[in-house]
Amino acid sequence: MTKTFTPARPIWCAGCGDFGVLQALVGAMEELNIPPHERFVTAGIGCSGSLQNNLSCYGYHTLHGRVLPTVTGAKLANPELTVVGVGGDGDGYAIGGGHLMHAFKRNPGITYIVMNNGTYGLTKGQASPTAPTGYQDNVEEDLDPVMLGLSIPGSTFIARAYSGQPAQLLRLTKAALEHTAAGGGMSYLEVLSPCVTYNDTYRDWRTSVYDVDEEEGYEPTNRAMAFTRMQELREDGRLPLGLIYTGERPSLESLSLNMDFVAPALQDITKPDLSGVCNDALQSFIK
Amino acid sequence: MSDNKQKLSDLNVIVAGQGGDGSLTVVNVLADILRGAGLRVYTERDVLSRIKGGITAATLRAYDGERLCISSDIDLFVAFDQAAIGKYAFRLNERSTVIYDSSNGEISSDNLLPENVRLIGVPLSRYAVKHFRRDIYKNSISFAVIGRLIGLKDDDMKRSFEKRFGRRGAQALKYNLDALEVGCALADESGLEVGKGRFEIESSDSEPHMLITGNEAVAFGFAVSGGRLFAGYPITPSTDVMEWLVKWLPKFGGVVKQAEDELSAINMAIGSALTGTRTMTATCGPGIALMQEGIGQLGMAEIGVVIVDAQRSGPSTGMPTKPEQSDINLLCYGGAGDFPRVVLAPGTPEECFFLAVDANNLAEKYQLPVFMCLDQGLSQNTATINPIDLNKVEIYRGDRLDEKQLASQDVYKRYNFTESGASNFAPPGTPGGMGLVTGNEHDEFGLVSTDPVNRNKMVEKRAKKMVSMIPELPRAISHGVETADIGFIGVGMCYGVILEAMDLLAEKGIHAQYHQVRTLWPMLDETPAFTARCKNIFVVEYNATGQLAKLIIAHGGEESNISSILRYDGIPMQAKDLVSQVMTKLNLKEDEVA
Repeated sequence: MTKTFTPARPIWCAGCGDFGVLQALVGAMEELNIPPHERFVTAGIGCSGSLQNNLSCYGYHTLHGRVLPTVTGAKLANPELTVVGVGGDGDGYAIGGGHLMHAFKRNPGITYIVMNNGTYGLTKGQASPTAPTGYQDNVEEDLDPVMLGLSIPGSTFIARAYSGQPAQLLRLTKAALEHTAAGGGMSYLEVLSPCVTYNDTYRDWRTSVYDVDEEEGYEPTNRAMAFTRMQELREDGRLPLGLIYTGERPSLESLSLNMDFVAPALQDITKPDLSGVCNDALQSFIK
Repeated sequence: MSDNKQKLSDLNVIVAGQGGDGSLTVVNVLADILRGAGLRVYTERDVLSRIKGGITAATLRAYDGERLCISSDIDLFVAFDQAAIGKYAFRLNERSTVIYDSSNGEISSDNLLPENVRLIGVPLSRYAVKHFRRDIYKNSISFAVIGRLIGLKDDDMKRSFEKRFGRRGAQALKYNLDALEVGCALADESGLEVGKGRFEIESSDSEPHMLITGNEAVAFGFAVSGGRLFAGYPITPSTDVMEWLVKWLPKFGGVVKQAEDELSAINMAIGSALTGTRTMTATCGPGIALMQEGIGQLGMAEIGVVIVDAQRSGPSTGMPTKPEQSDINLLCYGGAGDFPRVVLAPGTPEECFFLAVDANNLAEKYQLPVFMCLDQGLSQNTATINPIDLNKVEIYRGDRLDEKQLASQDVYKRYNFTESGASNFAPPGTPGGMGLVTGNEHDEFGLVSTDPVNRNKMVEKRAKKMVSMIPELPRAISHGVETADIGFIGVGMCYGVILEAMDLLAEKGIHAQYHQVRTLWPMLDETPAFTARCKNIFVVEYNATGQLAKLIIAHGGEESNISSILRYDGIPMQAKDLVSQVMTKLNLKEDEVA
């Protein structure tokens, strides 16, 4: 067997929520029998942005905030890969926030996991877009990315987990990967993942999380209900967890690729079809 | 037919009016007929950054031979709007003819126009409204007058209308053919009866030529060379690259994705290239600025992507529809940190095609950003070229490992140190493999490292590519007299003007050599060597600071032999202007030489 890199030990602080996310991702991919060579794991910049180094995969470390365009391009080029993007709340909601709505709208077949800790841990604790009013000197209202996702008609899978509840986290990670593997498009999983050093929210979140998976009558296929419940729970100071919304829409790659061909990445391009399409294109300039 | 008719060998026509008047259509149909008559055509447009309105123009040259620029001598000027006359009067001379819309009254030879200009007023708009209730048909009416004037046959005009408007449905075709007929009647009234045309134009079954823009040629080259994913964001004047690929790339098995901005476009391109797919994006200066971080990532993380820069007037938003070559510094030096890159500069549509093939080969083999340095003129002007010989396309992909090759290795390191600096690459999905790619400094496996010894080796590894690739880089092409002590250097849309200026100089007994550099970065020794040999070199460029000249000087070019000829007013140069600038700089008076 060819030796490749040995997954590194995580660089996170003891007790960091990101350990739970790594464990759930590895566990879910193993349970779903996704072999390492089919995993394309892409991470952003920040503490969470080193996750791809800690598991067996083809991994890529993106520029700050550019996880979603990168995984969209990768999936279009090779839809046979299991494409997973991970990052933090600063990466995904601040510097990369503009891409999030377009990713929901496009619905590419990728899984996007955001480790949300409400702070910029790597730069020592500045307020992130999800930091509540009053954190550090934050005067702004916090962003609710789940409600943002719900507001975009193209979104097809929105869930939230908490790294302090590993069983649900594993289940939702698996559900996210399965949604995408079934051709459902983008699965978005936000994980409340406390920063023990700069924003230790374990105590607060333990009491404020609320599991819609357990709520009788909650219908995750009903976008309007989901939106209303999210707003109500927010007003009650609760943090909703669970499969919040799931809908149906064809994936971006199924709508974009010419299915008469194998994936762009897998084509033998060294011998162009000179008498076929190349010549057709040439003749179109002659007319 | 009268005996004094010339055979048409060089015809230059400007058609101008309000945006939306159909000037471009007139020029395109004219180009099509003249192409059928065995002439090479070249068309240029002068438009504004708005959908309708403003004075815009389309310009055509039909030439018996190859000319990739418009002449200084305009034979015919067609003005749909009298305001256009003032704007373009400076390009006319005493031999020019002006056809203008006289619906709002005749104009006397106003003092803007050169003396003796032949003025033909035709009530184009009035007749369009009278016959068709729509002003828009005035361009088809005008076509008959133009055709009669230059000597096209009525049947040839009719046939080209059928070809052009047939695709728009029977109704559109009928109205346009009727408009042509109205125009012929008007021509008769204006004394332009059949057979009174200025030239003799025979349609011939000459060798078929392609009519193509630089942007289209780059896109075509990308597709043929195996490009399979294009990600871009619309921006003038690069957008035609994406437009062509939207239509054609799926037929090659590829895909085009329009991104939400250039940050997304370059990162989609990165994601695609990471899977081992040939990938390209196209933009211009402002887009390159936005992509800059991603371009550095390509260099550091060693990912091959081709980036087309259809340069326009800067800085900032500048003049979006006007040509410039002011991104040369940005392409060669832009970005944080030291990283390898290639900048290729084609001069013709054919070179756009073949350099796009080279660019894709180099990007994939050496795993770095490769720029195609175009400009608005080269990107958007159409030219007739001989059919591209597709058999000349060669594709090589570098050290790409499949499952078997990977299995035969004891170890796979994504960033293994090699002689050439380029590492092996097993695309994600290759069984038995795993690998890490990152823009952080890293060890051979791609794991983040700040170890100083490793750091030095990695910096040297990336730098080595710039040396090892040299044999594969496109060389300069020499035109003219290789021993001449007058020389030209210029890229992109300077190509056609320099060649014509050299012909005009040769007529005066002044011989020159054009060193047409095609790889700007790395600057190859050939160019400083040329500046050492040739004593009077004119570096012709569309920018205010002489970016290309300075690049050459920075690489050892002989500064005392170089002078710059610069233009940055948004207007394409003409050969006569260039000649007179050269004469002035050489302290020669036009009449001193033969």
